[in-house]
Order: sequence, then structure tokens, then C-alpha cells
Amino acid sequence: MTQVHIDTPVQPDAPAPHKMTARNVDVFYGSKQAIKDVSIDVDMDRVTAFIGPSGCGKSTFLRTLNRMNDTVSSARVTGDIRLDGDDIYSPQMDVVQLRARVGMVFQKPNPFPKSIYENVAYGPRIHGLAAARGEMDEIVEGSLKRAGLWEEVKDRLSDSGTALSGGQQQRLCIARAIAVDPEVILMDEPCSALDPIATAKIEELIHELRGRYAIVIVTHNMQQAARVSQRTAFFHLGTLVEYGETSEIFTNPREVRTKDYITGRYG
Amino acid sequence: MTGMVAQMPDRDRKVAERVPTDWKTGAMQTRIRRRYAAERRFRFMGLAAVVLSAAFLAFLLVTMLAQGLRGFTETRLALPIDFAAAGLEVTPAQLEQRGADAALASAGLERVVDNAAVAAFGPDGMDLISDTAWIRVGERLKADPGLLGGQAVIAVPASAGVDLAAKSGDTPLDARVAELRAQNRLTTGFAWGFLTGADSTDPTRVGIWGALKGSILTMVVTLLLAFPIGVLSAVYLEEYAPRNRWTDLIEVSINNLAAVPSIIFGLLGLAVFLATFQMPRSAALVGGLTLALMTMPVIVIAGRNAVKAVPPSIRDAALGIGASRVQVVFHHVIPLALPGILTGTIIGMARALGETAPLLMIGMRAFIAGPPGGFTSPATALPVQVFLWSDEVSRGFVEKTSAAIIVLLVFLLAMNGLAIYLRNKFEQRW
Ligand SMILES: Nc1ncnc2c1ncn2[C@@H]1O[C@H](COP(=O)(O)OP(=O)(O)O)[C@@H](O)[C@H]1O
Ligand SMILES: [Mg+2]
Repeated sequence: MTQVHIDTPVQPDAPAPHKMTARNVDVFYGSKQAIKDVSIDVDMDRVTAFIGPSGCGKSTFLRTLNRMNDTVSSARVTGDIRLDGDDIYSPQMDVVQLRARVGMVFQKPNPFPKSIYENVAYGPRIHGLAAARGEMDEIVEGSLKRAGLWEEVKDRLSDSGTALSGGQQQRLCIARAIAVDPEVILMDEPCSALDPIATAKIEELIHELRGRYAIVIVTHNMQQAARVSQRTAFFHLGTLVEYGETSEIFTNPREVRTKDYITGRYG
Repeated sequence: MTGMVAQMPDRDRKVAERVPTDWKTGAMQTRIRRRYAAERRFRFMGLAAVVLSAAFLAFLLVTMLAQGLRGFTETRLALPIDFAAAGLEVTPAQLEQRGADAALASAGLERVVDNAAVAAFGPDGMDLISDTAWIRVGERLKADPGLLGGQAVIAVPASAGVDLAAKSGDTPLDARVAELRAQNRLTTGFAWGFLTGADSTDPTRVGIWGALKGSILTMVVTLLLAFPIGVLSAVYLEEYAPRNRWTDLIEVSINNLAAVPSIIFGLLGLAVFLATFQMPRSAALVGGLTLALMTMPVIVIAGRNAVKAVPPSIRDAALGIGASRVQVVFHHVIPLALPGILTGTIIGMARALGETAPLLMIGMRAFIAGPPGGFTSPATALPVQVFLWSDEVSRGFVEKTSAAIIVLLVFLLAMNGLAIYLRNKFEQRW
């Protein structure tokens, strides 16, 4: 953590350094290139949205940020991705610790088929974050509260997590992710399997979580990107077409492809 | 392209001109009737198949029970003995100490009992009671030493000939047995000796405990070996091994191994464990090792399918919050796959329990008159015992064979019941 950022020297009155930086990232599945030369920064206190037509590589790029692509044997990542200035693909980086610091919420709610309590407690337990049982209870309660689920489940913490509704399951997954106190949260289309009311709850939740974590959200819903994010990246065919302030992208896109996509010409 | 464009209006017209379907025509009604008939036919055939298999099972059980239940009983003769007159040189105090059996034997209890039989039943008395009758009398004396000073009527086991005549008839002793029965001196009781004894040449003296204990020891070795190795192989092959030519080869080999006839595993056990490693012949340890070779592929195949059926989203979820791969496997994949793994284990173990041929090959068919002392002492197993007894000439062994089969089936049911209980228990955890 004390490492000096060699390539981005910090001036006294410069803005805070980026939480994560990606430079010239290429991703290949076998010989097929899914991501071409993408460079992007992710900041604290901000929600970054990735938009683009399906198959353009949003999920692929998102999964390079916590090395979930390691589980795909054909995937190969080149380029430079840093978390707080540390190269996350370097041999010194422990992938287990990285994934604790960069949490992930998946497209389909995937709670463990265990009790609600166990779902949230699992991460802190394997990382040894709670010394005593009481401490674990606090972590579970705090995480569920921050995920806006506490009031709904506080009386049935021992019920199975899979018995909840889809929207509750997704909030449980968010609680599970924040229980290990990550610095970055990656969300891959977290609302695509949910109804509008559950979606609204998750969006509200993202607003509340913004102050504490750097959040990256993939979405195919442009209104959602406009509502929840401060910065938006538009991907197309594996390349990053445009990246900037969300208000800019939606009102005044620089690229014609972005404009076409936003106005619904394709997608 | 142009051809298609030219066709388009034509096709559109056809769609527009299509007459509305009349669902009430005769052809439609016939189709409905045929559909119902097909459904009825299928239901009938399915039901018939179920009834047929249930009937086979019932037939098996009924014949086994009819034959075998008699194997659990013994015929007894009421034998009056006058201990006071016989002058046994034993004191009541001796009977209460250890070494009472030796004291009774050296005091000539066997002779006393034989004499009492002659006195009670006439000159053929000694042939009517079992050779082990005096042991039963000794047990009575030990339980009640006060009998030594007086007389008592004790129910002693009858000889094999009397037992057979009383149970099935059609023997030279039938008339004599009818006479005894008329005198009310013949009774039937539960043969505890069958549950506690081991093999013997006399059908009234055989017991199943020797073979049952041999089977239990063998199954313990099989389970302790096949289950962990099978589960670890399955998990490694599914979760860790790269997909390449070598793992394909291993997969094919394991699938083939599961189909190899069991006698070949017996030959393998003979060559490897007995010839090469010089392990003891006829031992439960070797039997268990041999059956483990046979059971392991079944567990590996079932285990791989169970591991494969665990949804990848669960693995992603655990990896996504920083679980290591070993943690993913032991915290999530194996618990979720356990019911499936246990099902495979039940099938494999049930097959191993009933297996005779490989055990014959490694010498577990020897005549062993006492229950095995441990994993390395000579033992036999239930199916081998059934095989050996069914080969005996003496008619008394017929019911003992069926009784042994009942014990085997009960053991099998108990094993399966336990596994199903465990499976349900693990399924309920979610
Ligand atoms: N595991 C994989 N193996 C091979 N190709 C993949 C794999 N995952 C994704 N792809 C390909 O990579 C491209 C980008 O996919 P993805 O990142 O899922 O797109 P998005 O999330 O934007 O819809 C697609 O062409 C897809 O077919
Ligand atoms: Mg995607």
C-alpha cells in the first residue's frame, strides 16, 4: 500500500490518484480478440458505467479488473491494470486478496444455497475478518443494512438465501460482496433479471454505496447508466469508443457511433 | 435474393387465403380419440411393468422368507436330568467363577446329559439330541447353580435329523418325531446360536455371525479406500485437471474399469496383493482392497457427474469474494455434490457387498469355524457363505442358506437405509 506511483507522480494539489487504472488492455479467447487496446480509469466516490451492444466485451473487460478471467482457461489478458498503483497481474499479486478488495456482483443472482446469515458471513470468515461471534453478527447486520435488506430479513436470518425473491437475492449478493469490505465493487448487469421495482431499489442502493466504494456497473439499459453513473464508457466491438462524464456522453457525444447507440439506432 | 423477393407476394397471399381451421371435423375427432387411446395404452403398459417387477420382488421375498425363517429357529427336546443322582463333581461356587465351562467339561457333564437322554428317550436317545446339548445344559446350570442338588427339565437342541423331521418331514425319523410331539416333549425356539456362531459341518450348529463380521470388515476396508480416493479423483478430474488427451484417456479407462467383470478384479487381487505383496490369504483386508478396486470407478463416475451438476454460478460467487480454489471445492462444490456422490457410493457398495467371484479368487471361501478376529485373520463373507452352504449335500443346509440370504438382504437394506438417511440429511441443509 505504501508503494509510490512511479508513472503518475502526485502533485500536492493534483486530483486524487485513480483507484484502478487500465492501460492498453487486450483480451483474447484463444485466438479471438474480445478486447482491443482499452485504457480506462476508475475512481473512488464515482460510479462508472460500461454500456454497449451485447457481445461488445463489457463483461470480459469487467472481469479483467478482478482477474475472474483466470477461471476461463482460453482467456489471455495483456496490458497493464493497476489497483492503487500495484499491477494486479504481477506474480506478487495474490489473486484471493485481490478479489477480496475488488468485489463482484453477477448478472444472475447467485446466493449460496445456505442460510442468509451464512451467505453474508462466508467472506469475512474465510478472510478471518471477525475474531469473535459477536463481531461476525455485527458485520452481517451492518452489511445487510447497507444493502438495504436488513428490515426484510432480520427475523429469518437462518432461512435459505435461495428462498428470497430475485431482487432480494441480488441485494443479498451485494451484502455478501460488501461484507468483506472491498474497495471496488464490480457489477455485471445486476438488474437484468429483475423487475422494475427491484431494479429501482438496487439503483437507490448504488447511490448510497457510492461514497464508500469505487463502483463499476455494466448495463445495457441506457436510462440506468444515465441515472446511476457519473462516468460512462461506451464499448463497441471490443474497443472503447468513448469515455467521459455521463452527462457529456448522453447530451453531447463526441463520436457518431456513441450518438447512434444512445439514440437507439442499434443495440 | 431476387427469387425470394419475387415469391414474397405469392406467399403473403397464401397466408391471407388460409381457411380457418375447423376443429370439429371427423378427422380431428379421430385424432383426438387416437391420442387418448395412445395415452391409455402407455399408462397401462407402464403400470403392467411396475406390477411385474413388484411381483418378481414379492416372489423372491416370499420364497426366501418361507424357506429362510425356519433357519432362524431350532427344534428342542425337553430333557429331564437328575443332577443330584448323577453326582457331578462341581460345586455351586465353581459355577459362579470364571472357568466354569472347563469345570463342567472335566466333571463329565456331556456323559451325564447323554445318560439322561438314554434314560428319557430310550436307547436311541443320544441320536435325538444335538452334540451341543450339554453346553446348553451347562449354561442353565451357570445361570442357576441351585439346580445341582436336584432335578430339572431342560429344553436342549435336537439333532440335525430330528430338526429336519420336525421342520420338513419326509425323513426316517418322522414317526419318532410324531411320537415325541404327541408327548409334548418337542418345542421350537429362536436359534440364538445362528446369530452368534460361525461355519460348521453340522447344519444345526452353523451360525452367520462369522460371515457377517467378515462382510462388515471387508466393507469397512472397501469404503475407507474407495470413498476418499473416488471422491478426490472425481473432484480433481472435474475441477483441476486440464482438458487434454491424457485426461480423456483417464476418463475412458475409468469408464472401462467400471464395466470389467468382477472375477478379473479377483485375479488382479490374487496376483497383486497375495503373490506380490504377500498379504495373508482369505483376509478381510485383501477382500476389501480387491472390492475397493471394483467400487472406485463407480464412485468416480457418479462423483464426476455430481460435481459437474453443481452450477458454475456458485463457483463464481465464491471466487468473486476471494475464496481460493480449494475453499470453493470443499465449502461449496463437495457439499452440493454430496447427495449425488452418496448415491453412487450406495450403488457401488451394494454391488461390492453382493460380490462373490473376486472373493473366491483370493481364498475367502475357506471353511472358517470361528468369526474373524481382525482385518488380517481368515474370514469369509456373506455371499460366499451363501454359495458354500448352497453347495452342501445335507438337507439341513437348505433353510440355513435361505436364512443367510435374509441376513445378507437385511444388511444390504441397513447399509442403503443409512446412506439414504445421510443423503437426505445433506440435502436438507440447503
Ligand atoms: N468464455 C468465453 N470463451 C470464448 N469467447 C467468449 C467467452 N466469453 C465471452 N466470449 C466472447 O467475447 C465477446 C465479448 O463477450 P462479453 O464480454 O460477454 O460481452 P458483453 O458482456 O458485452 O455482452 C463475445 O463475442 C463473446 O462471444
Ligand atoms: Mg455481459
